[in-house]
Amino acid sequence: MIRYLLVRVAQSLAVIWLAYTLTFIALQLLPSDPITVMLAQDTAVSADVIAQMKSYYGYDQPAIVQYGSQLLNLIGGNFGYSIITGQTVAERIGNVAGNTLALSALALLFAVLFAIVIVTIANLSRSGALARWVTNLPPLFSAIPTFWLGLVVLQVFSVQLRLIPMFPDGSVASLVVPSLVLAVPISAPIAQVYLKSVETAMALPFVAVVRAKGASRSWTFGRHVLKSAAGPALTVLGLTTGSLLAGSVVIETVFSRPGIGRVLLDAVNTQDISTVQGLVLLAAALFVGINLLIDLIYPLLDPRIVAESVRGRRGRLA
Amino acid sequence: MKYRKAGALIAGSLAIGLLAACSSGPAGSQVSAAPAGDPVSGGTLVFGDVQPVTNAQTQGAGNYSVANLLGSVLDRLTYLDPDTQTLVPWIASSFEQNDTATEFTFTIRDGVTFSDGTALDAAAVAANLDLLGLGSAEKKIIANPNFVGYDRAEVVDDSTVKVYFGTPNSNFLFATAGATAGLVSPGTLALDLDGQSDISQIVGSGPFVFDSQVPEQEITLVKRDDYAWPNEDSENQGAAYLDSVVIKVLAEVSLRAGAVTSGQVDVSRGIQPTDEQTLADAGFQVIATRTTDLTANFAAFRLTNPATEDVRVRQALQIGFDRDELVDTVLSDSYTPAASILPHGARGFTDLSDELAYDPDRAAALLDEAGWTLNADGLREKDGVPLEVALAASNQSVVFKPAFDFIAQQWRELGVVLENRAGDTTFMNAALVDDTTAFVGTRLFVYGGLGPIFSSDANVWTRASIESLNDQFAAENASVDAAEQDELRAAQQQQIVLDDAIALVLWDETQVQGASPSVNIEFSGGDAPLFQSAWVAE
Repeated sequence: MIRYLLVRVAQSLAVIWLAYTLTFIALQLLPSDPITVMLAQDTAVSADVIAQMKSYYGYDQPAIVQYGSQLLNLIGGNFGYSIITGQTVAERIGNVAGNTLALSALALLFAVLFAIVIVTIANLSRSGALARWVTNLPPLFSAIPTFWLGLVVLQVFSVQLRLIPMFPDGSVASLVVPSLVLAVPISAPIAQVYLKSVETAMALPFVAVVRAKGASRSWTFGRHVLKSAAGPALTVLGLTTGSLLAGSVVIETVFSRPGIGRVLLDAVNTQDISTVQGLVLLAAALFVGINLLIDLIYPLLDPRIVAESVRGRRGRLA
Repeated sequence: MKYRKAGALIAGSLAIGLLAACSSGPAGSQVSAAPAGDPVSGGTLVFGDVQPVTNAQTQGAGNYSVANLLGSVLDRLTYLDPDTQTLVPWIASSFEQNDTATEFTFTIRDGVTFSDGTALDAAAVAANLDLLGLGSAEKKIIANPNFVGYDRAEVVDDSTVKVYFGTPNSNFLFATAGATAGLVSPGTLALDLDGQSDISQIVGSGPFVFDSQVPEQEITLVKRDDYAWPNEDSENQGAAYLDSVVIKVLAEVSLRAGAVTSGQVDVSRGIQPTDEQTLADAGFQVIATRTTDLTANFAAFRLTNPATEDVRVRQALQIGFDRDELVDTVLSDSYTPAASILPHGARGFTDLSDELAYDPDRAAALLDEAGWTLNADGLREKDGVPLEVALAASNQSVVFKPAFDFIAQQWRELGVVLENRAGDTTFMNAALVDDTTAFVGTRLFVYGGLGPIFSSDANVWTRASIESLNDQFAAENASVDAAEQDELRAAQQQQIVLDDAIALVLWDETQVQGASPSVNIEFSGGDAPLFQSAWVAE
């Protein structure tokens, strides 16, 4: 188990380093540079001044030197300065990270709830029509563009009915509503996979045994099937971390919420290299962290995993 | 069965969307005017801006959102009257220049203090001018491009500053009125760029003082009770009427009108042309600024691009679309077709609208002459290369994209293909240093004249300079005679727009605001909201 853990952590660190390096290369390949972008947009600045500023920030150094010094800074815990705001990258991200975390965590919670409700209704409803209708929700959810849904919700409930604020004002509604909107596309793949794996589990012999012992359909479903079929859905849940971050870019713009998504958008637009690098690192760390966590939860859901991992095999069902 | 239900759901969602698109309010009512009567003191005004302020250093104010904020926190030496295009006293109670535009003397108004209590005296002004004029390597702060030729400032006595230039710069006095020439306290000046970028560390002498912020979301300013030195143009010669101003970021363009109609902001900048009527019908104010301190919106022709390096191509495209129809079709009554690179009403503006009239026949003849001939598909080509040009523009203007979709149609009739990448910021960033993009769209402050925009060989707009035009800029800077300056400015415009056609001029810059009927607010010639004289009726 310890060896399994160490290998997984080492893999995770390698993924983070790779993500960082690939981002650095991609940013280097862009024809423009952050200084030109920063200075040229709104003032008329001479080439001399641009050259001077590039040397202040080290952007006139060869790429490999920039890479090395950035990486060294990073290992020392210094993410560098955002050239746009003058804050340290850690400060700029730290200022807003809590907002995105709250939004994403709540959205994830809602997404899981949506998925469980969909799976439950699809399996337990006495009305075949309702069950079929609910089964069709996940494809619809993944087809609805998040920005459109957000705009419609705001136009109807904020502009027309004035029930919710357009800006984050600390109220419960100003957090819950964007989270619900973000949860819609996130819930789709979870629900879809969950539906399929419940369908598979319902056909397994143990369900027939439990039913034969006299258990009701709903008891069997709630007590046994929902849990044992959760594995694949959990894997998908881990993969949605990326969608959550991507979705937060849209949601934070539409709902005027400060957050990591908005900072990312701004940093990409202004080619603020240190900030983009910092955010990629954060995203990569979150992504591998959550997936690592899920790998560790797996054995709790399904004891077969431990048995397999003890034999040195990589333990995943899906 | 299931498809029908899903279909019904989609239809229902779409219906909600359409419903949402048609905002409520009594149809057909008139555009409401600002409230009449005497100004009311007190209250808070909520202003919706389109992006957060990420760099509050004085020179960051080349960006509208920064200028809107700093305009009420910092004062400047002079103020440019948008109607008369003359400078009026502000922190400088008087100002003069010598006959060669190399020496300038400012008399500083008595009794002005920064909000931290330090005096805004001659020494503070000189320190500000030195940082603006020379920049500072160790503070990572660049020199203000409008201060070209700056040598030094000397404190003559407590209320007199004398400024010396190495080369003539008769635009310098106007540059001191520029949004990017705000005066900060000596304490703020001592900070480097990173410190001065942070609005919470900016100490000015303006009518409002920074109070608090939610990073990247909103900034609250509070009134300074002892403010008594507004510029001479201001209708309010004392402290602000408003107790506080909250500037909120409203990035999503389609929500800006709704934010006003639902009372969640008092004023919203960046209203789309399609929302203007909705707002007016619902009894809200639609305020279009009359901009005199910026160029008209233009797309700079890249002089180093293979398609646009030929002046005949540039001249053909300049007269190859109908500006009046563009404004009627895509924009609104708030917009005026450009008649030059400078907007109507700007200092030295010369009206070239006759020469800019839509003339597809002459445009076609010019393209033929340049060797770009029509092929069987009705497209122009030369040596087998099609005449295809790309446009880059940032997402700062809400109307560039639809405007160029319209222009592309009319150019297509000439056989020219346009790739419209307006609003694609990443493309814009790449285009700044890349000649393969034929046009870059923008509009820029002209406090320092047109020279700072086009005179550098490496300027990101045209990517090359023209020697004879640079001579004109130098002559303008060396002249201290207003009539002669106007003549030189007229000649520059003639050259930039027609003879060398290095800027495709579009429409005069304007910012369109939606505002509650209870708000009384005016804007500077640089489009900044004047919060000091603004008030909200009870």
